Amino acid sequence: MKRWLSTFLVTVLGVSLLAGCSAGGSEAGGSGEQIQLELFSNKSESIDTYKQLIEQFEEKNPNINIKLSAPPEAETVLKTRLTKNDLPDIISMGATQTYGELARAGVLKDFSDYKKLETIQPAYVKMIGKVVGPDKEGVFGIPYATNANGVIYNKTKFEKLGFEIPQTWDQFISQLEKAKQAGEIPIYFTLKDPWTAMVTWNSLGANLAPDNFAQLKNQGKATFQEEYKDVAKHFLQLLDYGQKDVFGVGYGDGNKAFANGKGVFYLQGNWAIPEIVKANPDVKLGMFAFPATNNPEKNRLVSGVDVLLTITESSDHPEAAKKFIDFMLKKETAQKYTDEQAAFSAVKGVFQKDKTFEDIKTNFENGTITGFPDHFYPAGLQAANLVQAFLIKKNTEQFLKKMDTTWNKVLER
Amino acid sequence: MKRKTMPYFLMAAPALALFFLFHTYPLLQGIFYSFTDWKGYGDWDFVGFKNYLNVFQDKRAWDAYLFTFKFAVVSTILVNVISIIVALGLNAKIKFRKSLRAVYFMPNILSILIIGFIFNFIFAHFLPDMAKSLGFEALSKNILGDPDLAWIGIVIVSVWQAVAFNTILYLAGLQTIPSDLYEAAVIDGAGKWKMFWTVTFPLIAPFFTINMVLAMKNFLMVFDQIMAMTGGGPGTSTESISLLIYRGGFSGGEFAYQSANAVIYFIIILVVSIAQIKFLQKREVEL
Repeated sequence: MKRWLSTFLVTVLGVSLLAGCSAGGSEAGGSGEQIQLELFSNKSESIDTYKQLIEQFEEKNPNINIKLSAPPEAETVLKTRLTKNDLPDIISMGATQTYGELARAGVLKDFSDYKKLETIQPAYVKMIGKVVGPDKEGVFGIPYATNANGVIYNKTKFEKLGFEIPQTWDQFISQLEKAKQAGEIPIYFTLKDPWTAMVTWNSLGANLAPDNFAQLKNQGKATFQEEYKDVAKHFLQLLDYGQKDVFGVGYGDGNKAFANGKGVFYLQGNWAIPEIVKANPDVKLGMFAFPATNNPEKNRLVSGVDVLLTITESSDHPEAAKKFIDFMLKKETAQKYTDEQAAFSAVKGVFQKDKTFEDIKTNFENGTITGFPDHFYPAGLQAANLVQAFLIKKNTEQFLKKMDTTWNKVLER
Repeated sequence: MKRKTMPYFLMAAPALALFFLFHTYPLLQGIFYSFTDWKGYGDWDFVGFKNYLNVFQDKRAWDAYLFTFKFAVVSTILVNVISIIVALGLNAKIKFRKSLRAVYFMPNILSILIIGFIFNFIFAHFLPDMAKSLGFEALSKNILGDPDLAWIGIVIVSVWQAVAFNTILYLAGLQTIPSDLYEAAVIDGAGKWKMFWTVTFPLIAPFFTINMVLAMKNFLMVFDQIMAMTGGGPGTSTESISLLIYRGGFSGGEFAYQSANAVIYFIIILVVSIAQIKFLQKREVEL
């Protein structure tokens, strides 16, 4: 009996040692051993799409297991995990302030030598480089999906009112006025959620304020008080065309209400479209770039990197992680993602074919695109709540001054 | 150490160790970082009292303190008044007393976040729809979207949730009062009202003290309700101190700065609690 036991133990020990060796020895490749990767995503909208894509990937790479985590308040979670040195292997996130900070902190891999970078539209690679800033050289993420900020409209109502896509601010305002007179709610606002105000803020700011405002502001060469007067004025003007309780409706409720025929225009990004369609599959939607100025050639579409893919330096299996990114960058995969998420692709040759986006397609084609101004604001500014407070109190001068002083204070801290 | 105290010490030691590890040590860490310019990661330097000085100049922090105190004082008073009344009711000889106690305790079992989301729906849809169909135009909007009224919504939810716990404490207090005191009071010809002020209330004074202190402390630390219901909005009108610390510290990349704010906040809560205990204990009576 005893002898049997010791033989058994030795065998078990030997086998486990062997297994241990092979797991440590080679990476991705080989057979039998399992690699566990964590994919961290900050988008709740794309969870289902990612799950399907991961399934496809795991079918082809049976030795790689990918666990998806997409918690709420994802950027905060990511930052707290950073302090504990417990980072996921692959991160999928927007080119936000957090991305810039992560890249500067040196926790992301440099993709400068990555071959597939050639398949990405260079404008977006440049855009994420700008978020990181000049202090740190390299490409720390692969732009994957991009988004667009603008005006979503209810096609049925739009046609009934006899409207055409407005090219200038004045045309837009006169349409709003007509819609109001026709008894419609011209714009459906969802200002209970402060971030939804930033959509309009960015559309206006990108076109009415200088392009490198944040940079100038940091150098002390520009202020909100000088450059954002028109933005504030325009925004207040739009509020006149909202529904009755503009600060009482949140994003989720707003999507449903707009889907069910409340409002002619909806100031949101393309990411809202799948949600609206989910609430009412029969709704016919269109989208155009925000006509912020009276010069049609100057009105650019605000578009940013909504999803970029990157690998952390601390990942134990960078090769396997790279394999996943290779898979994501394949044309079929990118097309599937683009279709399901109503997104635009940063991958060359992958286009959004949905008719909803016909009107902004031209912006992508002739490059009348600009980035999100607030991605360059210091994070501590927490601009969204300040903008929301301004829209309630409507005191332009006080608000712009507050933006300036808060910004300066945050930099000093 | 005396032999007699040894077992007690041994019993308390694990708890003490855990408390130190998960409570005191992070607190000390926080105090340490409040003197640096740490962002939560990366390099840092010592900056002395700079963070503290900046907190005092931060209008947003002042507003948050003001809101939190307004909210805490109103909620503490409401919670104590309501829970004394409920406790008296549940202590009386009524039918279904035990099941009613269970029912009244329910809100305390549910997670505050979930309650917050449920009430979010009530304020956004249920109440306005009802007001509309009844013809009250003034009430037909979401009060959480109005900067002057949003705090009332939060008070309602917080009080509704907190009353359960304080009621349990008052019930425990009421059961310590011997019934012969009431009999004596009846013989002396005291009415219900007189009985409450001269017998019941003085005798549950220790429980009143503890309830006031606990409620005030909890409400000064209000977080989940606001997170679930308004996110500090509209504007910054319902931004509590904890929310500001959390937002600024984690997503705003101002870890050290908000650590300083947290230390100040800790000291204020400590001072308020001690002052309350000192003041309220004076009026307690011993049986």
